[in-house]
Amino acid sequence: MQALLTRHLDAAAPLNLAAYQAVGGYSSLTAAFDLKPEKIIEIVEAANLRGRGGAGFPCGTKWRLRGIDVPSPRYLICNIDESEPGTFKDRYLLYGGPHQIIEAIIVSAFALQAERAFIFVRGEYAKGGHGLHQAILEAQAAGLLGSNIRGSGFNLQIEIHLSGGRYICGEETAQINAIEGRRPNPRPKIPRPSVRGLWGQPTTTNNVETLVNVPHILLNGARWFRDLGINGGSGPKLFCISGKVQHPGLFELPCGTPVRELIFEHAGGLDEKETLLGFLPGGASTAFLLPEHLDIPMDFDAIAHAGSRLGTGSLIVLDSSTCPIEVTLNLLRFFSRESCGFCTPCRDGLPYLAQILATITAGEGQCEDLALLDELCAMISAQSFCAFAPGAVMPLISSLQCFHEHYEQHIAIGHCPFDATQQGAA
Amino acid sequence: MGTMQIEHHVIPFEPGDNVLHVALNAGISIPHFCYHDALGSLGACRLCAVEISHKDSGQVPRVAMACLEPAGDGLIVSVSAKTAQRVRQQVIELLMVNHPHDCPICDEGGECHLQNMTVTCGPPYRRYRGHKRTFLNQNLGPLIHHEMNRCITCYRCTRFYQEYALGHDLGAMRLRNEVYFGRFQDGPLESPFAGNLVEVCPTGVFTDALFRQHFARVWDLKTAPSICPHCSIGCNTLPGARDGTLRRVRNRTHAELNRWFICDRGRFGHQYSEHSARPFSPRVSGENTSYHEALTAAAAKIKAAQDCIGGLGSVREDLEGNAMLQALLSHLSGTFTAFNDPELEAATISAVGSQQNSGRAPSLVEIEQIDAALVIGDLTAHAPMIDLALRQAYRRGAKLGLLHSSPTPLSQFATTAMTVSPQEMHARLSRLCEFVHVSSEINSAHDPLMADIVTSLKEARKPLLIGTIEILNAPVVNALAELATALGPDVRLAYAFPGSNAYGAALLSPAGNTLAILEAVETGRIRTLIVAGNDPLGDSRFAPRWRMARRNLNALIVLDCVATATAEAADILIPVAAWPERGGTFVNYEGRAQGFAPVFRRLEYLPSTADIIADLASMLEHPLKNTASILHDALPGFIAPSPGAAGAHINVQKLPILNAVAMQSIQKCHDSTWQAALTSWIGDEALAGFAPELAKLAPADVALINPEAALNNGIQDGSRIILRSPAGSVEIPAQHHPAVASQTVSISRNVLTRLGIGHGDPLELAHVL
Repeated sequence: MQALLTRHLDAAAPLNLAAYQAVGGYSSLTAAFDLKPEKIIEIVEAANLRGRGGAGFPCGTKWRLRGIDVPSPRYLICNIDESEPGTFKDRYLLYGGPHQIIEAIIVSAFALQAERAFIFVRGEYAKGGHGLHQAILEAQAAGLLGSNIRGSGFNLQIEIHLSGGRYICGEETAQINAIEGRRPNPRPKIPRPSVRGLWGQPTTTNNVETLVNVPHILLNGARWFRDLGINGGSGPKLFCISGKVQHPGLFELPCGTPVRELIFEHAGGLDEKETLLGFLPGGASTAFLLPEHLDIPMDFDAIAHAGSRLGTGSLIVLDSSTCPIEVTLNLLRFFSRESCGFCTPCRDGLPYLAQILATITAGEGQCEDLALLDELCAMISAQSFCAFAPGAVMPLISSLQCFHEHYEQHIAIGHCPFDATQQGAA
Repeated sequence: MGTMQIEHHVIPFEPGDNVLHVALNAGISIPHFCYHDALGSLGACRLCAVEISHKDSGQVPRVAMACLEPAGDGLIVSVSAKTAQRVRQQVIELLMVNHPHDCPICDEGGECHLQNMTVTCGPPYRRYRGHKRTFLNQNLGPLIHHEMNRCITCYRCTRFYQEYALGHDLGAMRLRNEVYFGRFQDGPLESPFAGNLVEVCPTGVFTDALFRQHFARVWDLKTAPSICPHCSIGCNTLPGARDGTLRRVRNRTHAELNRWFICDRGRFGHQYSEHSARPFSPRVSGENTSYHEALTAAAAKIKAAQDCIGGLGSVREDLEGNAMLQALLSHLSGTFTAFNDPELEAATISAVGSQQNSGRAPSLVEIEQIDAALVIGDLTAHAPMIDLALRQAYRRGAKLGLLHSSPTPLSQFATTAMTVSPQEMHARLSRLCEFVHVSSEINSAHDPLMADIVTSLKEARKPLLIGTIEILNAPVVNALAELATALGPDVRLAYAFPGSNAYGAALLSPAGNTLAILEAVETGRIRTLIVAGNDPLGDSRFAPRWRMARRNLNALIVLDCVATATAEAADILIPVAAWPERGGTFVNYEGRAQGFAPVFRRLEYLPSTADIIADLASMLEHPLKNTASILHDALPGFIAPSPGAAGAHINVQKLPILNAVAMQSIQKCHDSTWQAALTSWIGDEALAGFAPELAKLAPADVALINPEAALNNGIQDGSRIILRSPAGSVEIPAQHHPAVASQTVSISRNVLTRLGIGHGDPLELAHVL
């Protein structure tokens, strides 16, 4: 498959407006303005473009459900608060091709008839945000933003909000609070942000990777887009591969590419001496899968069927030299550090889990700890306020299932069997 | 209206309600932390888990948070379901992971919501084996103690402080299990409502620092329903005492007044009754003596004065004390008033009169519902809880217009705030009256700000006019009443009166008596003056005259519970019981009479003013009827309300006095360049002024001057200036402040007193070279 989203990316010297237009950039505006907004939504829905930010909700359906006749002003938020460990795809899009993002926002905002769009940029991506800001100024000067864009009668203003820098700001309603200048705690989901979002107005949030597909769908059609995917997937997908592989990196491949192909062909496979222990298919907040799942296509439904989530499409690979409990502890430490501190199960539960895992890896675990982990995970997952904590405990729940014997071994021998300094003591 | 089933009870609910609120209202307990009646649902603590099913659906019951679950027809809610109980137990286990378990020495002991919930819902033993997270505490000032390790992160404090009371300097900081509720840096909390954190916090993070200094376990406290004596709102309180000393004051809910909260003056001002200089022993000519000796001496002086006698009751003295003094004086052919300041008397009596004409003032709950208000002067210091009620109206979108001479915290919420010098206030209100009858376009062309105020009042469904009596003279009071009349029947009118019983005292005080008594003392026609809870020698404007006149007296007999300037100068001083040490009745700003009960007795013999007057009358062989009969005579039809009851509006229609006499200000217009205005501060009140810890927060004495007016006169910010009046001079730093009216010098009551002038009086201003 020819690269679609990454074709013109260049982090060292991103295309300026003229160069971007020279390679066909902003041509989707003409296609979009010729269509009725409802029609665009219909096409995007037919293209089966699913959200690339983690949840995988169909983009066109999200747009349609917001409704056409909702009160103005309406807002579109482009989410580039990419903070998930192992996920770096949005960074490539941001640093490498700011005009691609602006074009995508213009046509998407037109479909939603949103007159103001916010781009929420991860705090650590400040440089990329600066480049994007320059591109916005360029686009404004060229009449691609502002009022009556290209004579369409459509007005759009885009503003960049650089995050204060917390993982929770990627959560839809916490992000809305952050843009409003409030503490980024999540809000109740009823009413939905599509009904009452930013400053009480209808607000749609999409991940940046989701949006950059939209111009291509408008230019080439829903059918063409669907056919880009394989094994049941639609369109292209940016896969981030990291962990114990020879060539970690970003790969744009058809949605639905099997895991085996990703790890062993594109990422160069594992160290020769090691075997595959397992992998996280969609980033830190997804469930572990095992070598037996290597032939599953990296698509939303297939991965969900295997008991995990495609998430952001970020594979983290563990080989047989890696202690899966250390990895799980690392993830839990991350999530307990990033809890916003709003609800009890997440705020006080995740550090509790991390503390138990730490005692196990230190060889001080007790037999009843495993049942306690199970019990706490179930409670935290079910009783938390937002989706953060259920995601946070997902790798632990699956780790306890996939690597149960490792946990029992740690507790039984009183130290970590992967710890080379402890080998003599064993 | 639908019905749902909670724990097998069928309960009606209003649409839009949530399950927790419905259950609590019906008296069914559901454990909870972050939900608070005043603050609403949040969904953070996850303790209010219940099991929900629907009578018509075959769905499996699900666990949900009662505070976030909309009430619905046919819902079946189980609080006792095992699944829900299990969740609550787990939530408590998690909340207790980092809790210090310092219950044996915790100030919250005995009234700790966390402890109650832990015993009710929690597991009996802890399983967590790790380290606990710990915090450093902050110094939040002399009134509130901070102990963050006890925090369970329910966000009630910051929701109250920021969202409800609209304060700025306390918030949630940091994240994960290190969320910290405090200030950006150490320092006293700035909100005048900060003390409510003590009650809002469900555990011992914020505790009453005064109670802590003199601690008692709550179950050992003697309590009784009381009424706050520190302003005219009449908030219901619950003082707690032990071993003959008062330890603390808490809010006691009144459905129409203070529902959950009181102000910091009400909570911390009670320390006046523990003040080291408080008189506990009767004194005659500066020598301690017995109660009987003091009474005997007083009776002798009164007899010697031979009907040349006058009496000052007080706006902070209860109805009983004022009425008994009035009755005694009428037996002795003396003259009674409750005021020492003729100006304040005229303003207060006019205001009570206009309240009669315009109908009763709105309750605090009604004020929260208004949609436009015009506020004259500062309410934060004079009627703090009206300020808090107006903040609620503001949160609902009410437009607030404000005319003020000196800075006031409400200006930050005002739609239209105008600084007006005291002398100009009457003209400004008259102008507003004229604006009412003219179209808004024409008004806008003349004065857009005034036009804004009038338009928002005219367009409002529930408009309110409210003025602070202490800074208004009678003509301004009447002008405000005329504005109310001009605006039509929907407008509500209220005044913040200058004392807990100012309304009641005004009912007993014939207009003009204050000046009559002062002049009679000055000319020697009154030779003995009985002062009950009043401080004529400490008054800012009239103290110089009273001090001169006092030399003509054969006896100054003072009955008080604080060491005022007048008490210090008394020939005969008889200490009286402070408010929690006796029962009585206050009439609040609405004209609502509320009774308060004696909470405790001290070791010393401290009778109430009414008791002392009765004893004195007997000794003078003019025995008075009992207090209830005297009150009944003074206020026909009046029956003293019992403490703890909601109180009844005093029926002023049948009163012999008060038909809103168009009283003229005795304050003469002047053409001086500068005039004084009172800088208000919440701790500045006759009784609370004697509360040492509250007084620590008093702002430094400065002269606030409008920057433009100051610079025009060559006064730099921070430079020292001299203020002069006929009675004295004060050297003081000048400070530029934009919220001071032009040609006005805004100074504290303390400085006004040193100058012997009042709000609106002229003063001279000179540079210090």
